[in-house]
Amino acid sequence: MTEKQTTTSAAFFATLKRDLLIAFKKKNDIVNPFMFFIIVVSLFPIGISPESDRLTEIAAGVIWISVLLASMLSMDNLYRSDFEDGSLEQLLLSPHPLFFLVLAKNISHWLVSGLPVVLVSPLLAYMLALPEEAYGTLVLSLLLGTPIMSLVGSIAVALTVGLGSRGLILAVITLPMSVPVLIFGTLAVQSTLNSQSPLGYLSLMLVMLSVSVSLAPLASAAALRISVN
Amino acid sequence: MWVWFFKLGSPKWFYELSGKWLPWLIGAMVIFMTVGVVWGLVFLPPDYQQGFTSRILIVHVAVAGTSLAFFPLMFVAGTITLVWRMKLADMVAKHAAILGAWFSFITLATGSLWGSVMWGTWWEWTDSRLVSMLFQLFLLLGVISLRSALEDSDAAAKACALLSIVGCINVVIIKYSVEWWNTLHQVSSPVTTDASSPNGPEFWIATLIMIVAVYLFLSVSLILSTRNEILERERKAQWVQDLVLKS
Amino acid sequence: MLDAIQFSTWAEFFDMGGYGFNVWSVYALFAIFVAINLIFPWRKKQKIIRQLKRRMTLDAEIQSEDDSSGD
Repeated sequence: MTEKQTTTSAAFFATLKRDLLIAFKKKNDIVNPFMFFIIVVSLFPIGISPESDRLTEIAAGVIWISVLLASMLSMDNLYRSDFEDGSLEQLLLSPHPLFFLVLAKNISHWLVSGLPVVLVSPLLAYMLALPEEAYGTLVLSLLLGTPIMSLVGSIAVALTVGLGSRGLILAVITLPMSVPVLIFGTLAVQSTLNSQSPLGYLSLMLVMLSVSVSLAPLASAAALRISVN
Repeated sequence: MWVWFFKLGSPKWFYELSGKWLPWLIGAMVIFMTVGVVWGLVFLPPDYQQGFTSRILIVHVAVAGTSLAFFPLMFVAGTITLVWRMKLADMVAKHAAILGAWFSFITLATGSLWGSVMWGTWWEWTDSRLVSMLFQLFLLLGVISLRSALEDSDAAAKACALLSIVGCINVVIIKYSVEWWNTLHQVSSPVTTDASSPNGPEFWIATLIMIVAVYLFLSVSLILSTRNEILERERKAQWVQDLVLKS
Repeated sequence: MLDAIQFSTWAEFFDMGGYGFNVWSVYALFAIFVAINLIFPWRKKQKIIRQLKRRMTLDAEIQSEDDSSGD
């Protein structure tokens, strides 16, 4: 019994390590979502207005939506290369619960494409004239929100992994599902700006995160089994 | 006890049974539709606040109420598809998604035709019902496009079943979070609750008749499409060939 | 029954107390919506049966040709 438990956790960390190694070797997977995020955010002042008053108003929303788009675009390579070189089938055949292996892949994906975006967000918040007191809330809300997006998006990626071209269908499926995260993330920042406590929203996001951690990998695993026959 | 359940999973059994039900359902639908529409257009007295726009509401409320049934329906069908591998559930789910998108669209269109007089605007982000209906439409379109992208019907069935289950959970979360979001943005809203509910028992009886009519229409349309799907998927079966030869 | 009719002239009926365009648009939209979702499945059924019939007669012809050439 104990032996099996240790091997499952070993398999979990092995998958995590492997995915991180591949990502650091390829580098594109890390750099591209990051660059995409910075570029999209920089387009908004040009398209809307360079006045800092108007930028302050839209800053939280712009950053949040750009993060959603960046995380969705980076989702595409979550299972694709594994599907192409056959290692996804190996993963499905492994004796360990698929739940943990999928979770490991999601975590490594978030570390590679979600975390850098969150870390750079204060810089962009500064460029969009977001008042300083909201930086902390913004980063915290993104820290809670981006893993939810990775976990939920993973279900859609798993469902479409066998398709040839799927960039847009992924967006059509995932983006509507991001509404609750977007609402609570931006409300948290907004309430800090109105000098109210954002704790209520942040704790709601924490609840959503823990629910997604426990349920979304189950759905992803089921979806992978459906897609890879 | 479970026999009827697995019998229902047999397309042939469903085809024969629904063939017997259809005339009655269609008859009831025609009666309720006629009564509802004639009452709505000719007899329903004007509301003291809204005038004749209450006549829009009986159609809008009936379609909107019914369109909320689609995701629960797809949730149940999806569970049956995944757990019992019942082909019939997937055939129903496929057409439920398409019909549900129609219902959501008509809800939005009739809602904005009503809003354009009562609120003075065709679209109102501060009305949480409109916003969550919009996202229900998006989620349904996602299910439909996933189905059309995955050509293999067995994998498509399971994938759409899973997405419908996830979507149903999501639509509930979206509904409540959008409502919450709206209570915080009510400052300059033309939407007030007392302006959206006309009074009088006559209005509610007419609405009730329309709701029954729309539910009957939903079942008739869904059964017709499901029967077509059965004919197409079971075209190699002997009973379908006999049926084609007879017609 | 007739007293309950809310209109005395046709013009009044079409005007709907000033909301004619919206009320009639909603009912027209509803009628189109109902009609499309009943007529399309019905016509599709005719089409499917026609196609199946044609395929079956074709199959039968091929079958009989095979039989005659095999003799």
